[in-house]
Amino acid sequence: MPLTYADRLNVMRDTKIRHTLEKRTQNGYTDIDDFGTVPVPDDYRVLPWYNSENGSFYGFDGMSENFCLILDAHPAYVDPMEMLCGRWRDMLVNYRGDVHYAPDRLKNDPMMQKLWASATGQWSKRWDEKRFPYDDLKPLQAKYNIQTGIDGDAHFACDYRIGFELGFGGLLEKVRKYREINSDKHDFYDAEEKCLLAIIRFVDKHIEKIKELLITETRPEIRESLEKMLKVNEKIRLGAPESFHEAIQWSVYFNCVSRIYTRDGAGYQLDTLLLPYYERDIKAGVLDDETAKFLIANLLLTDPHYYQLSGVDENDNDLTNHLSYLILDAADSINIACNLTVRVHPNCDKAFMRRAVGYLFKNKNGWPRFASDINLCAGYMKNGVDKATARERIAVGCNWCAIPGREFPMNDTVKINVAKVFEVALDEMRGEGSCSTERLLELFEKHLTLAAEVTAKGINLHLDHQWEVTPELIMNLMFNGSIEKGLDASQCAELYTVGIDGAGLAVAADSFGALYDRVEVQKLLSWDEVFSALDDNYTSSENKRVQAILSSADRYCSGSSSADKWAKRLTDLFVSVIRKESSKMPEGRQLVPGWFSWARTIEYGSNVGATPNGRRAKEPISHGANPLPGFRRDGAVSAQSRGIASVQCGYGNTAPLQLEFDPSISAENGGIERVCELIEAHFNEGGTLININILDTDKLMAAHKDPDLYPDLVVRVTGFTAYFASLSPAFRQLVIDRFLSEKV
Amino acid sequence: MTTLICSVTRSSFHDGPGLRSVVYFKGCPLKCAWCHNPECISFEQEELHHPEKCIGCGRCKDGCFSGAKELCGREVSPQDLLSELLLDKPYFGTDGGVTLSGGEPLAHAKYIKKLLPLLENEDIGCAIETSLVYFDADILSRMKCVMADLKIWDSDIHERYTGIKNDGIKKNFQKLDKLGIPIIARTPVIPGVDQQIDKISEFLHTLSNVKKYELLKYHPLGADKYASLGKTACDFGVLDENYFKEMQKYAFDIR
Repeated sequence: MPLTYADRLNVMRDTKIRHTLEKRTQNGYTDIDDFGTVPVPDDYRVLPWYNSENGSFYGFDGMSENFCLILDAHPAYVDPMEMLCGRWRDMLVNYRGDVHYAPDRLKNDPMMQKLWASATGQWSKRWDEKRFPYDDLKPLQAKYNIQTGIDGDAHFACDYRIGFELGFGGLLEKVRKYREINSDKHDFYDAEEKCLLAIIRFVDKHIEKIKELLITETRPEIRESLEKMLKVNEKIRLGAPESFHEAIQWSVYFNCVSRIYTRDGAGYQLDTLLLPYYERDIKAGVLDDETAKFLIANLLLTDPHYYQLSGVDENDNDLTNHLSYLILDAADSINIACNLTVRVHPNCDKAFMRRAVGYLFKNKNGWPRFASDINLCAGYMKNGVDKATARERIAVGCNWCAIPGREFPMNDTVKINVAKVFEVALDEMRGEGSCSTERLLELFEKHLTLAAEVTAKGINLHLDHQWEVTPELIMNLMFNGSIEKGLDASQCAELYTVGIDGAGLAVAADSFGALYDRVEVQKLLSWDEVFSALDDNYTSSENKRVQAILSSADRYCSGSSSADKWAKRLTDLFVSVIRKESSKMPEGRQLVPGWFSWARTIEYGSNVGATPNGRRAKEPISHGANPLPGFRRDGAVSAQSRGIASVQCGYGNTAPLQLEFDPSISAENGGIERVCELIEAHFNEGGTLININILDTDKLMAAHKDPDLYPDLVVRVTGFTAYFASLSPAFRQLVIDRFLSEKV
Repeated sequence: MTTLICSVTRSSFHDGPGLRSVVYFKGCPLKCAWCHNPECISFEQEELHHPEKCIGCGRCKDGCFSGAKELCGREVSPQDLLSELLLDKPYFGTDGGVTLSGGEPLAHAKYIKKLLPLLENEDIGCAIETSLVYFDADILSRMKCVMADLKIWDSDIHERYTGIKNDGIKKNFQKLDKLGIPIIARTPVIPGVDQQIDKISEFLHTLSNVKKYELLKYHPLGADKYASLGKTACDFGVLDENYFKEMQKYAFDIR
């Protein structure tokens, strides 16, 4: 019996599960995106070329040279079950010793240990501090626990239309053409050309591998598939993709190399960009829906890039098309970690929304998620852009959107831990002697302003010099004006609407709420009693009582509580402080506020002492814009939704609603309608982005005990999805706590 | 005017159609031996005890904040209750709304008559979960849906397990049927109790507006609550799944 697409998908899924477990062995627990990587072979070794005496590599030559070293070391990945080839395994940033991403296999590699040991100063060498120091900023950055964005990379989006139009060969010609025009930029063009040639070699490697497999492959249907794969690869090694299959294979290669370079995960509007290829092939009779579906499933398997579906065009016309449905069906057929975002607008096809929610119920794997077109678009327009431009800004990251090829937002790389800012303000007020929540708010504003100022300085330092440290050599290829001008994307973007996220909102709001309710209004505690309990970290019996009094005050998202009101006040303040700082930015740069912690709640919490919401020192801070677990006894999803909708920052960046729940109703028994209504209501109330995990309680609890029982269980940890079995126990516990708190 | 409620639960998907806010009124004329909301039976405020939450501070007289002692029952005015219920108005969608439950909500009829116009004024639909021990045509006729229990067919057995004969309840079912409101009839299936579900089903078939007859599984989830009230829950054992499945032949859904 010849293998059907369904048979092949089953094998591909099993392979994926096997890879997940192997990667855990190689890398240890990873509280990050699955990234779609495959394990590295035992004999894989890269000896980086360090062009800085501090033991790292920077700039056009350093980045291009090491990119080529890694890409050339990458073995080809061709699985005869698949129709697409190419996978990535390792990234450039690992070799700068970034502690957050370095996998165990590198941390334990004597060669790497020796290299890192030779480095001086800091552990991570992503930023060239020797040439671009910022010692003057560090004290305040540390004081307010700021994730500075200095040394960040990627976190903007490519315009894939540029690549689809030119192909790798066309891009190479373009680089060569503009090298002649901008003769003073030869370093830039040399680096770009070197990278492109390496990419073409990477494709060639796959062509050889396919040929090798064809020698021994005997199954006729797989031979046919490999021959097709070969043809497609031979075409796109230089030529622009013309067919649906070619456009998707081209995307896979670009995604691979862009990941290797800076683990860029921003995809594109999948259903509209691929539509012309799909329609042309269908019309020509060279593609059928089953094959199209298989190809998309294969694309999603290769990498959980962020793709957007549906939404409306600049005239509010629905963009949902037949391919949108096929993509959802394809995602269902492979059902793995997947970052599809459905853009929701009142004009969009309601049946599509139902289908999307139906898959949330069916697979319980955290996909898709939902973004509000109206609120994101209207918010972004407040940065002075027109509607058509705002509409182009699509969901391509954990919490963030970007205009492909036009905007450089550094989104999700810059964060201020407001729980830490709160702690600093509280300490100062305590020193003053006279205490009140209003005074505390004044001091919070003062310190938030200082935090915003130093953050802005860091952003400017980064934007001024990123091109000299980590030029975006791969993403430049599909960024408007970059190759034409010989400038890095960080230098030539049309829009610099740089995101600054606040993290720890619920900790700060609940702390304000508890102090207001329990100390000022109800007079159950004195300020001194609170301070003494904080010093004691709520350890003594008496201070445990203080903790109980504070933590039992009504919380943020309980509905009309003091903490709810404080959350709104803190949001207004955060927005006003960031926008005020924005007005001081040079060169038309703007700062855009949002609430998001990413997956750093444990790390941020470790920097904050005990807080007046009853939280002990070093415990994790709250997640994103979410309330803390236990915010209401019934864990009402509507209460959470309404609370989060009320703290939106309103300039086009998100404060996501992260929901984990077991609705205990089946899809058929009204579950789909209920969730559709919930999504609609959240967006009507002002919400921007919803990440939903519809989970099965029994399965989740069993997986918590023994993750290997369910190696295919995927959860949306934050903006990204991850395999539950790959998460560290501490991180799994956070997901469980959120889930139990919101169980309906 | 105020009345005593146990709590308001938001985002319920199980107490009527759509997403609902459920008001648990305090007090019920029935004393069902299997009741899983025993804190809603008494018409008085009660103190619930959760010793596992005690932090041993020894300051009970100054108020307990750890949750070890919890006051069940709060007085609330219709206007204040409305404010609480309005929080979820944007989430009720096409079918959802408020469900009056308890306890026995119809034991608070005067109060409900003050609350209903406020909800109607906000265009919020109401459903009720009632034992039908009481009947109030004015209230019931304003409901989008009535969920009513007929727990046991035989009146004497009914009295043995609930403290009240059920002749009045059956009559109230017939009176309710005449109001033309969609009825969802329910029977909790209790191990070892001769409920005569076949006869209940037969009776319900004689009525015109029973859109659904559903059987609910007995579960001992109320045991902790009984303990927190200083009482002991009746142990009816484990429900035989096969029996429950077999009884499903009497359930129906004609919506």
